[in-house]
Parts: sequence; C-alpha cells; structure tokens
Amino acid sequence: MASLTTLRNSLRAPVSLHPFLLQNSTPRALYHSYEHDLPPPYRNPEAAILSSALAHVPNHGFTTIALTLGARETGYLDISSNLFPKGAFELVKYHLVTQRLGLKNRLQFPDEGRLGVGRKVRSLILSRLQANVETGVVGRWQEALALMSLAENIPASLRELSALSDEIWFLAGDVSVDSSWYTKRASLAAVYAAAEVYQTTDTSTGFRDTEAFLDRRLEEVRTIGGAVGGTVEWAGFQAGAVVNLMRSKGLRI
Amino acid sequence: MRLSATPGWVCNDCRRSFASSVRAQQQQQPASSQHVRQDEKTTHFGFDTVAENLKASRVAAVFSSVASNYDTMNDLMSLGIHRLWKDHFVRSLNPGIRPTASAQPQGQKILDIAGGTGDIAFRMLDHATNINRDTQTSVIVSDINPEMLGEGRKRFSTSPYQAAGRVSFMEANAEQLDQVESSSIDLYTVAFGIRNFTHKQKALEEAFRVLKPGGVFACLEFAPNLNNLLMNAVYKRWSFGAIPLIGQIVAADRDSYQYLVESIEKFPSQQEFAGMIRQAGFLLPGQGPEDEGVKAGWEDLTMGIAAIHKGVKPA
Repeated sequence: MASLTTLRNSLRAPVSLHPFLLQNSTPRALYHSYEHDLPPPYRNPEAAILSSALAHVPNHGFTTIALTLGARETGYLDISSNLFPKGAFELVKYHLVTQRLGLKNRLQFPDEGRLGVGRKVRSLILSRLQANVETGVVGRWQEALALMSLAENIPASLRELSALSDEIWFLAGDVSVDSSWYTKRASLAAVYAAAEVYQTTDTSTGFRDTEAFLDRRLEEVRTIGGAVGGTVEWAGFQAGAVVNLMRSKGLRI
Repeated sequence: MRLSATPGWVCNDCRRSFASSVRAQQQQQPASSQHVRQDEKTTHFGFDTVAENLKASRVAAVFSSVASNYDTMNDLMSLGIHRLWKDHFVRSLNPGIRPTASAQPQGQKILDIAGGTGDIAFRMLDHATNINRDTQTSVIVSDINPEMLGEGRKRFSTSPYQAAGRVSFMEANAEQLDQVESSSIDLYTVAFGIRNFTHKQKALEEAFRVLKPGGVFACLEFAPNLNNLLMNAVYKRWSFGAIPLIGQIVAADRDSYQYLVESIEKFPSQQEFAGMIRQAGFLLPGQGPEDEGVKAGWEDLTMGIAAIHKGVKPA
C-alpha cells in the first residue's frame, strides 16, 4: 500500500518532476513510437564483434571462422565466440537486423506523394536487395539461407522476414487497418523471399534479371489479388442471394 | 564421513527405529564443542547448517572418501549421462585456436577448477588437439582436495599431454587463487564443483580477476529443479530415494551421496545463478541490451537436470 501512496503523490507532483517515474533508462514500448527511438538491438561488444566478423564473410562465409576473426580484431579472444550461442546464425541475424533497421536511412521518399504505394514498395525491395550486394554477402547468401532453414533457426528467421515485410510496408506509407494488413505483409514476405533466393543465382550485370523477376512477381500479386478479391465478392453475392431466397420461401434466417 | 552405527531407540509398538535424531545430536555436539558463537556466520552443508570455516573441511572429507570411485559415483547418479553432458560442454566451448597462415600459434591457457580427476581437462585437450589441430593449448587442473588431484595425475601419467607439458596440477581454493596471475587465463571451467564452494560469489569474482579480457567463464552444474513439474517430482524421488541407497549398496558410503543430493537441492536456480555471474561483471550470452533481469543466459541439459552457464569478461 505504501507504493500506491507514493505513486499517487508522485502523480500529484508538478509535471517537471515526472521523469523519475520512468524507472528504466531506456523505456521499451510495445508499439512503434515516433518520439522515442528503439534501443539498439545489440549490446556494444556483440555489435562490434559481429560487424567486424561481417567484413570477413565474403572470404570465409557465414561460419564460426568469420566470427573468431571478428573477435580477434575487436580486441577479444578466439574463445569469446562463446558470446554467440547460435554460432554462425547470429552473424546472419545481425546482417538481417542491421539492414532492416537501416532501410529507412538508405531510401527516403520526398514528401510530394506522387509515387504510389506500389512503386514505393518496389523501390524499397530493390534497395534492400542492393544492400546484400553492397555488403558483399550476396555471394555467400546461399550459406545464410541454409543456416536460416535449420529447424532451430526457423522461428527467428520467419520473425525477421515478417519484420522486414512490415518495415517495407510502413516506409511505403501503408495505412490499412483491415484484414488486408495481414494479406499485404504475407504476400510481400513471399515475394521478397523469392527475389532474394533468385538473386543468389543471378549473374547478369547490375542484377537486372533480379529486377525483372521482382516485377513479374509483383504483377502476379496484383493479378491474383484482383482475381481472389473478385471471387470473394462473387461468393458473397451468391451467399446473400441464397439467404434471401430461403427467406422468401418462409425460412426464418 | 561415516558415522558410527548407533541405531538410537526402537519403538516397541511400531518397530520403527529413530536414528535421525541421534545423527542430529551427534552433528550438533562437534559443532557446539568447538564453541560456535551466535554471531559467527553459517552456511549450508547439504541440509545441515555448519559454520562457514568448517564447510571446506567437511566437503574435503566427502571427496576424499569418494575420490577412488568418483567415476562410478557419477555413472550411478546420472545413469551415465554425465559423459554426454561433459562432451557437449567441451564441444560447445570449442577450445583450441585453429591454425591459420597469418597467426602464430600461441595456444590457449585453460584453468579447470574443481577438476581433480581430469575429466574435463582431458576432453579439452583432446578437442583442441584433434578437432582444432592446436598443440599449444595447455590446461591447469586445480582442486582443493589432494586425493582428487592424485586421481587426475594418475589418469594423465600415461597420456601424451603430460609428456608435452600441456597439463599441470595445482592445489588451490577457488575463492583465493593467489598462484594464478590476473588476466592470464583464456578459459575458466568448473564442472560439478561450484555447488561445494562456501562462497560462490567470491569464486566468481576470482574467476573474473584471473580471466583475460574476452575470456570465458563456463560452469556445468546440476540445477535444483526441473522445468516440468511432473518430471521434477519423479526426479526428486530418484534423487532422494534411490541415489543414497545406491551409494550405500555399491560404495558403502550413504552419507556422501546424501550430502551430494542435498547440495544440489540447495544450489541457486539457473536464473539466480546467472544473476550472480552477471553481478561478478561478466557478459551473459543471449542477452539483449534492454533485458533488465536475467531471462536466458544458460543452457538446460536433459530437461533441466543440469545447466551450462557461460559468461564473457568484457574487453
């Protein structure tokens, strides 16, 4: 009960004294806040080791060797790779997290709003795919896909894919509040995953083939989306008609 | 460690014998005869309470009596699974520096605490030599009990590691490692030993001192409770019912096994212990920056019968 009176007294205090109510130094909200930045996803030692390990990935792949080289370079020991219980998968996850969080810095849209949401989504996906090329991991990305497909890593990988899909829609300006929120993210996740896998086999200059592949997939989503929507509307009309027919026959529904 | 076999008194109606009260009296008598003052600090020795300065000698007595058949004791208590645990412990640590073209071979210095019989030390050296092709890594085997160290010396006497000078033995109390320089050890391991320490936090602080920046503290230890309540009930019946009985039948030493089972019960939970490791200054793997408490800094083995705790000294 003492805590309740303390809380009441603190709430009665002037607004300028409210900061002490925040017990944590970095409050973590469960919603996205425009005012407060999210706390960094990795602690400093881990971020330092992983970022220098990522520089070794083009030569050594997504392996524990890259992790130990990264540890050595940041002033840690070889044995310090025990800081990463999931081993090389943590290197993959670090790349995914940093690229997702860096997407808003890579590509910004001018405020005029002449680009449609669809075009923005396309640009964002291409920017994210370009990030794979720029960090030099695209040559080793098939190893990363293999690591992500291991049973113990699948939940974390799917979470990252859905977070990326959500991030892309958010940055493109999606404001839907109905069930299309879910269908949009699911379809984008599938398109992005397919494009990323295709990119690992792409040998064309400037990854043109990947861009064409992406355009074909987005076109399919539009077509199928339209077809499915039309079918659902048709089925709805048919159901309504059946119900009305039954009522006209005297059935009480 | 074995008490004289006085049966106490036997009830004529129900034929039950009451020996436990006699045991309690006998244990209290030596303590009171040494004039334990009211303000002297006490700690637990299994389910008994003893003065702190006596715990080390009581533990020493337990391990002196089981040193010769320590392996048998472990096999019986864990039905042989301890070998799998120790193998997994060493493999997940991955000791040894893989030789590369650029780096000069330096070898790691491993300190194995309470590792008298050399179980973990042997596995570490095998892993470093055979898997990582590292012939420079060395292990210091440390134990407070000279009989356990004697067992370790015997085991290593015929191995190539002894000849190459990659193993050394040190009799020391983990709470005061004066013989070990600060920041000189790459990997500090303690397997099934820390629950016997009188001051665990002090041992953790000593570990922090002797480790190099970036060095790893790793602890393999029994946990007091399983995660699954039903399995926990079964496990407790096995622990308190079967294990001392097996000790009595096989090794004729019920009390040592009883102490060991009770000491597991008294050990802090995984979450508490991980909190203690963090308090000593270590970074726990698997913790995000926004984690206030300790939620996952350990790995459970076999549904939580044992757990591996790791900590990394910040560089």
